[in-house]
Amino acid sequence: MPWYLYLALKQLFPTGRRFPFFTAISTLSVALGVMLLIVVLGVMGGFGHQIRRMIVDTEGEIQIKARGLVGDYRAVVQRVERVPGVAGATPYAAGILMVQYQNKPAFPQMRGLDLPSVDRVVPLGKFVTAGSLDALDDDSVILSEGLAESLGIPVGGTLEIYTPLMLARKDVEVILPHSVRVVGVLRIGHQQLDSSTVYCTLRLAQDLYGLVRDVHGLNVRVQPGADEDAVVARINALLPPEVRAFSWRDSFADFLWVLQLEKNMMTFVLLFVVLVAAFLTMSLLLVLVLKKTREIGLLGALGASRRQIALCFCLQGVGIGVVGTAAGLGLGFTVLHFRNDLVRALTHLTGGQELLARFYQFSELPAHLASRDVVFIVVAALLLSTLAGIIPAVMAARLKPVEALRSE
Amino acid sequence: MSDPVLSARGLAKAFRSGDRRIEVLRGVDLALAEGETVSIRGESGCGKSTLLNLLAGLDAPDAGTLAWGGSPDTGARRRATYLGIVFQSFYLIPELDALQNVLLAARILRGPGAAELARARELLDRVGLAARAAHLPAQLSGGERQRVALARALMNAPRLILADEPTGNLDEQTGGAIIDLLLGLSAETRTTLVLVTHNAAHAAKCARQLVLQAGRLG
Repeated sequence: MPWYLYLALKQLFPTGRRFPFFTAISTLSVALGVMLLIVVLGVMGGFGHQIRRMIVDTEGEIQIKARGLVGDYRAVVQRVERVPGVAGATPYAAGILMVQYQNKPAFPQMRGLDLPSVDRVVPLGKFVTAGSLDALDDDSVILSEGLAESLGIPVGGTLEIYTPLMLARKDVEVILPHSVRVVGVLRIGHQQLDSSTVYCTLRLAQDLYGLVRDVHGLNVRVQPGADEDAVVARINALLPPEVRAFSWRDSFADFLWVLQLEKNMMTFVLLFVVLVAAFLTMSLLLVLVLKKTREIGLLGALGASRRQIALCFCLQGVGIGVVGTAAGLGLGFTVLHFRNDLVRALTHLTGGQELLARFYQFSELPAHLASRDVVFIVVAALLLSTLAGIIPAVMAARLKPVEALRSE
Repeated sequence: MSDPVLSARGLAKAFRSGDRRIEVLRGVDLALAEGETVSIRGESGCGKSTLLNLLAGLDAPDAGTLAWGGSPDTGARRRATYLGIVFQSFYLIPELDALQNVLLAARILRGPGAAELARARELLDRVGLAARAAHLPAQLSGGERQRVALARALMNAPRLILADEPTGNLDEQTGGAIIDLLLGLSAETRTTLVLVTHNAAHAAKCARQLVLQAGRLG
């Protein structure tokens, strides 16, 4: 080990002494900055990841829509499923309903599912918390958990359904509702979907909306590892111009752009915390250079070159950066691991857990840290810490040994 | 006769104090033979330390020349290979124990191997501090610290030791012991010694005694 690295480490972590105050303060400041970046980027990334999961789990990676309705959807499904990279395709019909249970009304979203093909695209079965997806037929529905709770309807209860089509009819005096049984309840984990959605068979949805044999669109699942954009391009090459395929990123481009912007802004702002930590490290290293002026003179007298003396102090900045970053990563990942406990404790104290779920759409605080984000944080922290060591290093290297030895 | 270990010719050095120019050295001539012990005495502020800094290459003379007995090295590296310097204030690195302080001189010159470690231990043993090798400077007395500094100065087997009032911070008895040790080690290793001191008794122990007066050695 070169002497300047050895001495830098010894000055940061001396043998037989407590963790020096200088090292502790500067390391802690870098660690806190890194921890903040990890936690914030992790949670911001978690929102994006959770939204992707929610979209993909409920609608597949690719959606196919037409300007009006998609006719002869079976032929479209067959053609799309032959496209390389496609794992499955399923048609859907969607719209708004008015439902009523014991004079309690609600206006949920309707989702009509093609039961033979839905499993290949949307794993709804795994979200069912009561009843069963297998029990779903043309006379029954599955409700989202929030809707079932707000209506107070149990599995087995009968729900009355009205559609805009019924309300628009002028040839009847009394509008009779369509009665269906509730055969299940499901919970996806997204507040908006869980609060107000009715899942029914495609045929029921077509009947309710008068679609005959048409559908509103298709959801497509791509094979694991397949390039979504390439699959979209291949599908579009097959489809007529009025029917187009969009990846989930295209469909939610504006929302994802805002999310990315928020993440970038948070990163930019929080980088200043690491920058302040770097300034603190620099000022402490400057004090160290002043304190060790005579030792710097001695090193010169013993034959150390200016470059080596500079490296000795610069490496202390690097050392603080390395230890601080490692500690910050550890702290950050620990906070992310216990994030939901921390949120629960915080909201328990402030009493706003329901509000949090309603506002942020998620019942649990999501976290997802992309490896490129971690690499960015580590590189930024190490770079800033190294830069923090450069000015004190240059100052130490410029000291003349004879003057340094003479200093009081 | 072999080449002198160090020869200085016409060394001059002046400092500015406001508008005044103070000429500290006015043409110092000095030649040091191998194994020779030389003491330099003089009043406070007469330029003894300035002369030593010039001889060590830590400072540049305004005029005059210095020749280091055919050393191929220059600058900082020459100080590491050719010189051992002992200071009044010891200047040990507080974060390093006695052994590592001695070894630091070798670390700066080259990566310390088993031979360097053995030599550092041997030198500590020679200065009577084998049992204190793992002690930090703060755990050593003034005399012990100066012995560590002596061992460090000898670590790279220099041809010349420059000692700048090495007993200045020590009591009379400890100081005397340090000077005896320094002279003994110098004689043992045939290392040339330049001892700058105020103490006439210490100076008298050297083979050649010089006095710096009015900027010249006599």
